[in-house]
Amino acid sequence: MIAMRVATVARREYLERVRSKAFLVSTILGPVIMAAFTLGPALLMKRQRGKPLRLSVLDASGHLYQDVERALSLRKEAGQGRFVLKPPPAGDFQVAEAGLKDQVLKGDLDGYVLLPQDALERSVVEYYGKNVSNVMDIRLLNDAVEEAFVVRRLSAEGLAPDKIGHLTKKLDLKTSRLTERGAREDRGGLFFLSMILLTMLYTTLAMWGAALMNGVLEEKNNRVVEVMVSSIPPIQLFAGKLLGVGGAGLTQFAVWAGSLGLFAAYGASATAASGLAMPEVNPLVLVALVVYFLLGYFLYGSMYMALGASVNTQQEAQSLAFPVMMPLLLGFVFSFTVLASPDSPLSVTLSLIPFFTPLLMFMRITTVTPPAWQIAASIAIMALTIAAMTWLAARIYRVGILMYGKRPTFPEIMRWVRRA
Amino acid sequence: MRSCQHLFEDQKVNQSVISLKGVKKAYSGHLAVADLSLEIPRGSVFGLLGPNGAGKTTTLRMIMNVIGPDQGTIDILGRPADQAARDRIGYMPEERGLYPRMVVEEQLVFLAEIKGVARAEALRRLGPWLERLGLAEWRKRKLNELSKGMQQKAQFVATLLHDPEILIMDEPMSGLDPVGTNVLRDVLLELKRQGKTLVLSSHQMETVERLCDSIALINRGQKLLDGLVSEVKSRYGKNAVVLAFDGDGGFLSTLPGIAKVTDFGRYVEVRMDDGADPQAILREAAGRLRLSRFEIVEPSLHDIFVEAVTAHGQELDAQEGS
Repeated sequence: MIAMRVATVARREYLERVRSKAFLVSTILGPVIMAAFTLGPALLMKRQRGKPLRLSVLDASGHLYQDVERALSLRKEAGQGRFVLKPPPAGDFQVAEAGLKDQVLKGDLDGYVLLPQDALERSVVEYYGKNVSNVMDIRLLNDAVEEAFVVRRLSAEGLAPDKIGHLTKKLDLKTSRLTERGAREDRGGLFFLSMILLTMLYTTLAMWGAALMNGVLEEKNNRVVEVMVSSIPPIQLFAGKLLGVGGAGLTQFAVWAGSLGLFAAYGASATAASGLAMPEVNPLVLVALVVYFLLGYFLYGSMYMALGASVNTQQEAQSLAFPVMMPLLLGFVFSFTVLASPDSPLSVTLSLIPFFTPLLMFMRITTVTPPAWQIAASIAIMALTIAAMTWLAARIYRVGILMYGKRPTFPEIMRWVRRA
Repeated sequence: MRSCQHLFEDQKVNQSVISLKGVKKAYSGHLAVADLSLEIPRGSVFGLLGPNGAGKTTTLRMIMNVIGPDQGTIDILGRPADQAARDRIGYMPEERGLYPRMVVEEQLVFLAEIKGVARAEALRRLGPWLERLGLAEWRKRKLNELSKGMQQKAQFVATLLHDPEILIMDEPMSGLDPVGTNVLRDVLLELKRQGKTLVLSSHQMETVERLCDSIALINRGQKLLDGLVSEVKSRYGKNAVVLAFDGDGGFLSTLPGIAKVTDFGRYVEVRMDDGADPQAILREAAGRLRLSRFEIVEPSLHDIFVEAVTAHGQELDAQEGS
C-alpha cells in the first residue's frame, strides 16, 4: 500500500522528466558532444589533409630550389604526397612573385615558399598562403624545408648524403599506459576522456539536483503540495520524487554509458587511422560512471530537495544554495590534483570523503584503477552518508513544503529537523 | 448482509463522520484555533463559517493532517484520523493547486491513484465527470492551457474522482462565475442525495444558507455557535421583518421596539426587540413610505453572523482591555 503510492509518485516524476524536451536534447546531445570532442578534431584534420597543398617555391638564393623541391615532393602522409609542386612563373624575381601572389589570390595555388638570398645562413624561409592556420601542413612544410637545409649543410661538411637521413632521424616518443592487463599505447586520449566524463558527472549532478529543487519549489508555489500531503505522507512524497527523478537520471546515464561503450568499440578503429588513438574504455569505467552518478545523485539530490522545500523562490534558493553547491564544486576543483597523481595519499583520502567520492573516486577509476577495497569502502561510506542525509533532508522537507513567507535561517531549519 | 454491516458501522460512528475534541493550534505565539470541538453529522451539508482569519482553513487542514494540532483529538468515521480514513475524504484546499504543465487526464488519474484508486478504475470514472463539467474537450490538454474557471472545475474533479464519502471544500464557490456556481451546487446537492457528507467553509453566508443544513460559526479560533440551521435561526427568534419601499427609511431605526436595521440595498431587514409587535412597525411604515413588500421572517444567517461576530469581538477586546 505504502510502496504503491511511492511508486505512483515516482512514476509521475519519471514520465514528466523523460518526456520533456530538455531530457531528450541533453540525453542525445551528451554522446554527440562527447564524440565531437574526441573524434571531431581527428576527423576534421583527416579530411583537411586529404587534399594535398599546391605550392610553388620561389628561390632568391639561386642554389636551394632543387633541394627544397625534392624534400617537399618526397614528403608523404599516409602514402600520399602532401605537396604538389608547380613551377614558379618565368621572369625576374619581382615579376615572378607578383605572378605567384596573383595565382594564390585567384585560388590556382594554395601558397608559395620564398627562399631569401641568405636563407641557408640565417635559417629563415617565408611562406605566403591563403590559409596559414592549417597547423599540421605548415609543420610538415617546416620539417621538409629544414630537412633540405640540414642535408645541404651536412653534405657541405663532407657527409655522404645517404648517411645523413639515418643520422638525423627524429625521435618519436611513444607513451604507453601500463595496466595489469598489459601495456597500451595512449597519447593523451585517456586524459581527455577522464576530463570529459568527470565534467559530465559534475554537470549532470548539478543539473538533476537543480531539477529536483525546482520540482519541489514548483509544487510548493502551485500549492499542489497541500493536495498531495493530504493524500500521501510527506516522507513518501519525498521518496517518490527522489526515486522518480533518479530513474530519469539513470535512464540518461544508461544511454550515455551504452553509447560510450559502442563508441569505444566501433569508434576506435575510425580514429586509429588518423593517428589519434582512442583510449581503451574499460567496462569497469562504464559501470563506475553509472554507480557513482547514482550515489552522487542520492546524496546531492536529497540536499537539493531540502533546499527547495526551505525557500519560496529561485532567488532565495540561490542565496541558500552555497552549502549544497560548494562540496560538489570543491570535488571538481580537487579533480585536477587527483588527476596529476591519482595514487597519492592525498588523492586516496579526498576520494574517500563522501561529498567528493562521486567525482574523485570515479576519476581515479578512470586513470589508475584503485585497489578493490578502496572502491568498496567509498561505496559503503557513501551509502551511510546517503542514509543520514536523506533522513535529515526528509525532515526538513516535511516541515518546509508547507512553510510560506520569510526565508528561514539555518538555526530555524535545524529546529525543523528536531520538530519533525 | 451488506446492509447489516452498514447499520453496524453507522451505530459505531454514532452519526458523526468527523469529530474534533479540544483541538488547539498556535503559530508562533498567535492562537489560530483555540479549544475547538465540532461534530459533523453523517449525510449533512455542514457549513464552517467565520470571518477571514477565524481559523476555518487551519481547522480543515488539521482534519486533513496537512498540519498537526498542538492539542486535542480528531476522529474520522469513528476512529482516530489516519491515512486510511483520510483516503475516504475528498479535499479541496483554499489555495487551489494542480500541476500546471501536466495533461488534465493524467493529472486527475494521478491524484486519484495516490488516494488508492486503481489506474484503470480512475480512467473509467473520469469520462463522465469531465463530460458533466464541460471539460471533455480539454482532457488531453495541459492544465495551464485552461482558463481559471476551467482549472477550478478540474480541481473539483480531482476532489471527487476517488469517490470519497466525505467532501471537504474550503471556500468552494470562490473564483467561480454564476454558471459555474450553479453547476457546482447541482453536483453538491446530488452528492448529498447519495448520502455523502459535505463540509464547506465560507464567509459568504448566502451560499451557505442555500446549501447547508448544519453550521458552526467560529471567530478568532473559537466556536460561537453551532447546530442545525433551523435550530440556530429559531434560537435567534422569529422576530425580524423585511421591508422594501420607496422613500427615506432612515426613521425606522428610531422607532420603539427596534433593535437593529440592516440595509441590503433593495430591501432592509429590521430586527425587533423581544415582545415588540410587527404590526406597529407596519402601521408606522405604511404611513410614511410607499411599501412594496412587508414580510415577517427568520433572521438571515448573515445577520446572525454579523451580530455574533461583532459581539464576540467586543467581548474579547474588553477582556484584553481590562
